[in-house]
Amino acid sequence: MSQQGGTEEIRTIDEINEKLKRGDAVIVTAEEMLKLVESSGLEVATKEVDVVTSGTFGAMCSSGVFLNFGHADPPIKMTKCWLNDVPVYKGLAAVDGYLGATAISETEGIDYGGGHVIEELVSGKDIELRAESYGTDCYPRRHIQTVITIDDLNQAVLLNPRNCYQRYDAAINGTDRVLYTYMGTLLPNYGNITFSGAGQLNPLCKDSNCETIGVGTRIFLGGGVGYIIGEGTQHSPKGGFGTLMVQGNLKQMNSEYLRGASFYRYGATLYVGIGIPIPIINSRVAATIALRDDELFVNIRDYGVATRPDLRPVIRQVSYAELRSGKVTIKDRDVPSSSLSSYKTAREISEDLKKRIEERQFFLTKPVEPLPMLREFKPLKIRGKELLVRDLMSRKVITAKPDDDVKDVAKKLVAKGIDHLPVVDEENRLKGIVTSWDLARAIAKESRTLAEIMTRKVITAQENESIDVVARRMAQHNISGVPVVDSANHVIGVMTTDDISKKIIGGRTAP
Amino acid sequence: MRARLIYSHGEAEKPILAEVILKTGLPINILEAKVNAQKGELIVSIPASGEKLAEVLAMFEEAGVQVQKFTKVLQIDYDRCTSCGACISPCPTKAFTFDSEWALIFDEEKCVACRTCVTACPVRAITMP
Repeated sequence: MSQQGGTEEIRTIDEINEKLKRGDAVIVTAEEMLKLVESSGLEVATKEVDVVTSGTFGAMCSSGVFLNFGHADPPIKMTKCWLNDVPVYKGLAAVDGYLGATAISETEGIDYGGGHVIEELVSGKDIELRAESYGTDCYPRRHIQTVITIDDLNQAVLLNPRNCYQRYDAAINGTDRVLYTYMGTLLPNYGNITFSGAGQLNPLCKDSNCETIGVGTRIFLGGGVGYIIGEGTQHSPKGGFGTLMVQGNLKQMNSEYLRGASFYRYGATLYVGIGIPIPIINSRVAATIALRDDELFVNIRDYGVATRPDLRPVIRQVSYAELRSGKVTIKDRDVPSSSLSSYKTAREISEDLKKRIEERQFFLTKPVEPLPMLREFKPLKIRGKELLVRDLMSRKVITAKPDDDVKDVAKKLVAKGIDHLPVVDEENRLKGIVTSWDLARAIAKESRTLAEIMTRKVITAQENESIDVVARRMAQHNISGVPVVDSANHVIGVMTTDDISKKIIGGRTAP
Repeated sequence: MRARLIYSHGEAEKPILAEVILKTGLPINILEAKVNAQKGELIVSIPASGEKLAEVLAMFEEAGVQVQKFTKVLQIDYDRCTSCGACISPCPTKAFTFDSEWALIFDEEKCVACRTCVTACPVRAITMP
């Protein structure tokens, strides 16, 4: 044993592989390791155990398969291709394609997508292949329609640009309507919390400094064998959000660990199972392996605010232990919490991997290259000017007071040719809204003042909001205009669907 | 035992539920209610079984209320279910939980057939015929 920078070296991967061959290596699952640390202490556990197996099973949208269909006779240079009506990316050679997990069926919509096709391929089911081409001298065929199974394919390689998120922020909904998101069903008014990730079983949590996990590492992938081929997209290990890019032979995998899924009103995806053996090579790896759910934290973010993911308001920090307990305290209230990823399947993966290593079917690898530990996850900056509410709203707002007479207001609306009238107090703060339809009804019912008829719960916009966001809000509430308010709820403008359509005609350019 | 009570025009004005509670002495709990002058729908939990339950249900039916019992309303395909948990926290009656091995368990007694879990399930393992 040697000392290097405060880190005690314990054993090498080569030494562990020798022990594995002799059959005297000690392999435990991540959960078993935590129990051992609890009963015997970290030092004893570290000396005793050579390898800890981790596991995770959750929705991993950046997944997909490279496929080679082989040539038909006469041959075709496929330019467009579908598997069970799900489009396959064809910007590759004649009969190569990439089927992404989130591609959606052109006939069934978001309930069936690439993830489902991948699951059916892996299960050996018949898949309808359709392709089109413009025809060339060497590839004269222009159409093809046939049925294939995974056995007909020359190669089927699962290649996932981003998998195995180290952890993931939890989700809550502060609005007053149900949200259907990639984090599942979020009930209004902080009605529930959803989260994802295996926490204390997650491979990147167990080796968070990526000392044993690197390029070339052999892993359990979808029930078969895979390899890490690099950092995943959006890899951000410094903040605890490392990701992996992985690949493996789809033909060896199975549908227990590759499951097509669809989040209601969001879209299709693929649940992927990944397990990574972590050799305890030094004391630093041992320390991260010992991390428990109550030491792994994420933020709970409000998905009701439709901003960039990292700008969604943080409600509080929470540990995986609290999330997994089924309830989280938010403002003195117990809010039900539940996962979207399967802890049960993650455990099964860690057990399966342990068994494979014990049975000498799976040996450990040394990374060919380390993964970068400093990587900034940058947002997309938009160059040029984008239309905001302030660019389209009318600033000359006609308002009324709650005690104004219904008939006088009706006359005002007709004279000015407007449909939306914000009702404000003496300081121009929004109190309600009336539309021409409200007034027609008020006159029919012989109501007298606006206070009797105005809508008090007003859907509003702010001047720095994007037009897309406000247009979607208006469509959701089935309204044709919104008052624009400042942070103190003062009315500073009105924006209507008319304002939007007038400006947008002829292309989405700023004035 | 949970049931949906459907009141049609006319019955909604009568205090039928109150009368059943007074006559039977059972603390029948209202879990969900949609009532207006024309019609109404209540989801109730009746703490009774066997003959007593049959008596309660008969009282509602005699008063003109249609009774739908919640039995086997939800079908879970446990081969498709991955025990992910996406149905657990959205469920308004906490009908889903995990067992000690993190496998999903469904308590039929608690289900009020609101369908929230049907859409919340990412692998479409829950159906309601």
